[in-house]
Amino acid sequence: MKNARVQVLLCAGGSCISSGTESVRTAFERELDVAGLGSEVELITTGCMGMCEIGPIAVIYPEGIFYQKVKAEDVKDIVNEHLLKGRVVDRLFYRHPTSGELVQLIENIDFFKLQKKIALRNCGNINPTKITEYIAADGYAALGKALCEMTPERVVDEVKTSGLRGRGGAGFPTGLKWGFTAVEKSDQKYVVCNADEGDPGAFMDRSILEGDPHSVIEAMAICGYAIGADQGYVYVRAEYPLAIERLQNAINQARDMGLLGENIFSSGFNFDLEIRMGAGAFVCGEETALMHSIEGKRGEPRPKPPFPAQKGLFGKPTVLNNVETFANIPYIISAGGAEFAKLGTEKSKGTKVFALAGDINNSGLVEVPMGIALGSVVYDIGGGIPNDRPFKAVQIGGPSGGCIPKEYLNTPITYESLPELGAIMGSGGLIVMNEDTCMVDLARYFLEFITEESCGKCTPCRVGTRIMLHLVTKICNGQGTMADLDRLEELAPMICQSSLCGLGQTAPNPVLSTLRYFREEYIEHIRDKHCRAGVCGALMWAPCTNACPASVNVPAYMALVGQGRFKEALKVHMLANPFPSVCGRVCPQWCIKKCRRNDLEGPLAVRLVKRFMADQANSYMDLYPPKAAPNGHKVGVIGSGPAGLTAAYYLVLLGYDVTVFEKQDEPGGMLRYAIPDYRLPRGYVDKEIDGLVELGVTIKTGVDIGKTVTIDSLRADGFEAFFIASGSGAEIKPRIDGVDLPGVYTGIDFLEAAAKGEDVPVGKSVLVIGGGDSAIDASRIARRLGAEDVTIMYRRTRSEMPTNPIEIAEAEVEGNKVEFLANIDAIREKDGKLEVDVIKMRLGAFDTSGRRRPEPIPNYQDTRVYDNVIIAIGQRTDADDIVAGATGLKGTSWHGVEADGRTGATSAPDIFAGGDLVSGAATVVDAIQAGQIGARAVDQFIAPDASRSYPWQRLDLPDVPVDQDADIVDQDPVMTPLLSADERAYSVEVERTISADEAMREACRCLRCDYKV
Amino acid sequence: MCQPTVDKKHCDNPLFKELDAFIAKQKPGRDALIPVLHKAQDIFGFLPVDVQEHVADALGLPVSEVYGVVTFYHYFSMQPRGRHTINVCLGTACYVRGAKKVCEALEDLLGVKMGETTEDRKYSLTTQRCFGACGLAPVVMIDDDVHGRVSAKKLKAILDQYE
Repeated sequence: MKNARVQVLLCAGGSCISSGTESVRTAFERELDVAGLGSEVELITTGCMGMCEIGPIAVIYPEGIFYQKVKAEDVKDIVNEHLLKGRVVDRLFYRHPTSGELVQLIENIDFFKLQKKIALRNCGNINPTKITEYIAADGYAALGKALCEMTPERVVDEVKTSGLRGRGGAGFPTGLKWGFTAVEKSDQKYVVCNADEGDPGAFMDRSILEGDPHSVIEAMAICGYAIGADQGYVYVRAEYPLAIERLQNAINQARDMGLLGENIFSSGFNFDLEIRMGAGAFVCGEETALMHSIEGKRGEPRPKPPFPAQKGLFGKPTVLNNVETFANIPYIISAGGAEFAKLGTEKSKGTKVFALAGDINNSGLVEVPMGIALGSVVYDIGGGIPNDRPFKAVQIGGPSGGCIPKEYLNTPITYESLPELGAIMGSGGLIVMNEDTCMVDLARYFLEFITEESCGKCTPCRVGTRIMLHLVTKICNGQGTMADLDRLEELAPMICQSSLCGLGQTAPNPVLSTLRYFREEYIEHIRDKHCRAGVCGALMWAPCTNACPASVNVPAYMALVGQGRFKEALKVHMLANPFPSVCGRVCPQWCIKKCRRNDLEGPLAVRLVKRFMADQANSYMDLYPPKAAPNGHKVGVIGSGPAGLTAAYYLVLLGYDVTVFEKQDEPGGMLRYAIPDYRLPRGYVDKEIDGLVELGVTIKTGVDIGKTVTIDSLRADGFEAFFIASGSGAEIKPRIDGVDLPGVYTGIDFLEAAAKGEDVPVGKSVLVIGGGDSAIDASRIARRLGAEDVTIMYRRTRSEMPTNPIEIAEAEVEGNKVEFLANIDAIREKDGKLEVDVIKMRLGAFDTSGRRRPEPIPNYQDTRVYDNVIIAIGQRTDADDIVAGATGLKGTSWHGVEADGRTGATSAPDIFAGGDLVSGAATVVDAIQAGQIGARAVDQFIAPDASRSYPWQRLDLPDVPVDQDADIVDQDPVMTPLLSADERAYSVEVERTISADEAMREACRCLRCDYKV
Repeated sequence: MCQPTVDKKHCDNPLFKELDAFIAKQKPGRDALIPVLHKAQDIFGFLPVDVQEHVADALGLPVSEVYGVVTFYHYFSMQPRGRHTINVCLGTACYVRGAKKVCEALEDLLGVKMGETTEDRKYSLTTQRCFGACGLAPVVMIDDDVHGRVSAKKLKAILDQYE
């Protein structure tokens, strides 16, 4: 075997074994034998390589070809194609999570490229069950060097020089700890390794014990020499049987070779090791509790001092370090402490191993230099969040740690920076969360964990955490009060300060850190009885309804459509949203992200069913909820977009006399002037607005509030309250030369002119700048107006684009190109055309939105010529005139209105505001919710004593029975009917309506999550 | 005493002989207690009171101390287990990736709550904190087999593998 031509390294880490390494190994043995390659190819099973998500992993050297998710049936191809014929098997290559490119070599995978492996130096490279492989990788050389060339004091000094700090979480300098123990006089001292890796979400100690057990044995022997101990214990969790097996095997081998036992390296130094198995108690990670457990007692902590360095295990001086800390020691002794100290920051030296898990593409183990940015670990190494979902927070440090939100992705990871943010380094569990995690529920989870694991010895921890759990559980169940938050904040520091051990002292951290960064979510649970993540079941009607900003009772209308009762279904819809036709065409469908069918074959096509349902009614008059008798109060609504019209709708239903003032000649706002005809034909907008007018909403168009009429003049005319929803219709222009040249349009002006049917000259080649909906819409309109060469230019990458991916895909189907990481620097007129300077961008540091900030690449310039440039980089509000004419109303520096988006309240008691004006550009369904909030605010202002529930709060089960015992069967979702690219004309709707059969069948896929037993 | 016990006639029970042989190999001292209890649970499947009494006698410890240790650690159980132990991981990574849903589905499927054993003694259903297989979250461990990326939908097929 010595001269094997090829080595096949097969990962036999715990996760890969679970994914099937054993059957792959057997298959390799068989196939290599069949192919007669037994003597040329060496098969080596190694410890964890780190990429647990995509195991089992095989790496083939000398080239380093990396195969992922290898199954036994793939092995034949690897042997026959790759090993025999030299043709790599590309279907098993790793695919880059964002670019989608296949990566052939292990050295080119970002996950490995940015790591620096010291503690994990051998994991994944050697067979952990063979001591000879460890020795061949310079194993036990450090022990030899220490015993034969160094005094114990030198060893301690070397560790001090390295700056190594305890990797178990607290970060105490290892060299100091060793020094304190070394100077103690005693007949017996001990070295203890803490492998009771209890932090949920951390598994580096397990991987080191499984993948490189000898490094820990060697380090413990070095430590024994340095402090004068001849006996060591490794305290391992009982949950890690494989780690125990491999460690025991390694201890036996080391004994056989004389590397443990008496007179090691003929130096006169004796050292031996024993394994002690834990028995499932988180508190045993605390050093004094752990030592009690080794002594055979209940694992309860005791007060310090005396510290273990003076009185430790069995009352003798003891060094207790964690597995990862020990795994660094052989490197420090061999390479020198100074070499180790070159890595990291001033106070945090070397590397740290993190266990990446949760909502992340490359979950697994990584070792990175201290000081690396948190975002770099999550995105560059971890590959980001699956399906490009937004990052919400990372939980670091387990039950003693905290959550760090997206604003701090640039934070360097050090022992000092993390506590500043309310987290701790901990043992290195790093759990990434997307918006599906409820932060209140997460705090509850950790408290539940702590109350179960609290040993009960001291009162603050035993009782205090129980009270905190009770309070947080109340909040999760929608029974919390604002006083509960104060109570939590009062209790937390008391528990921190008065608990006996680290468990209690850090137990409140998860609550404190979520309160610090996600207080708004706690408040939503308490005041709005709403869990935005859709986790807290007691606050949810159904996951889809919970996710819908307008709270539409989706399961109810699905049930009714399923029975062919289309008008009744529409009636349910009208309770929460008077725009079924519009939303049936343009709704972003937040609901389907939460649809429980996602766990099966895919979510319901909610929008398609809604669209079909809406198209079944020519008039809505008999479908609206009942209207109250007129109450004589006059209310003014400014802006006739979906927010303003929704507010007017509910106020009319409540009996108010409502007038909507619209600046444009026709009502509808963005529905009419921004969303193009091919997505939302004007007829449907007219139909739904006509319905509202018929119901009793008065709309006055051509009235520019603040110019001819002001809020003050309306007040004088008897209007008692106002809701301002004037939108954000002004285009932001970049500060570059040439934006006002003829042929340069802004997105909003371009879309509006096209919607009005005005003459908008468009040449053959058009450049659109921006990445949002209006940029995509403008590009597709430009093509419909005759442009042949349309390029959308966006300064970030596809995954950061704020628009719906389907819209981008459709634009591309129609022939439009999208260019990423590019921007324009100047526009000039040249020979009747536009000459544009293009700059290339790259993604730099993380900004507070959690996205990487694009920055220009220096010295790159490219000049291109276009007929037109459309700038659609964002919109701003333009409410200065409205504010000027309303006494008591405060504006903002960005030309908006100062308002609370949650309540609609402004600085003037009779004026409320909402929609894009307050939130910035959002979607139609968000605007409908803003309208609901506005209507409620106005009503509660005028009639504060009328305690009533509003139509959108009425959630009832439909009279459609649910068979709870029926088996759930997979049914393919209905496909969206689309026109082919060459059928698409200027004003023809691209998407079609599904048939009644299809709608009913699709509706019947609903799992009826509203129905609770 | 309503606690379950094993066969009272210790001396004839070969299981006790196996335990005694293990105890004889331990170094003297009370730190042998936890390793002995691990062995006893391996042999008997659980740690009923008479086994605890036997261990206390053999190690020269008060029964109260043995009982104190047994009840302190989650790993030790005084209740008999089913033929298969289903452990749902409730570590953080599993939790954020839907372990709660898996728990609910298992309870529905087996008709018992967490911590209980099915009537036919086939399965015991329990939860644990983190097996260290976070890369495969959510994870369910049945006996010594780790099943990764579990979903409510996959559970039935997984359980069908066990007799």
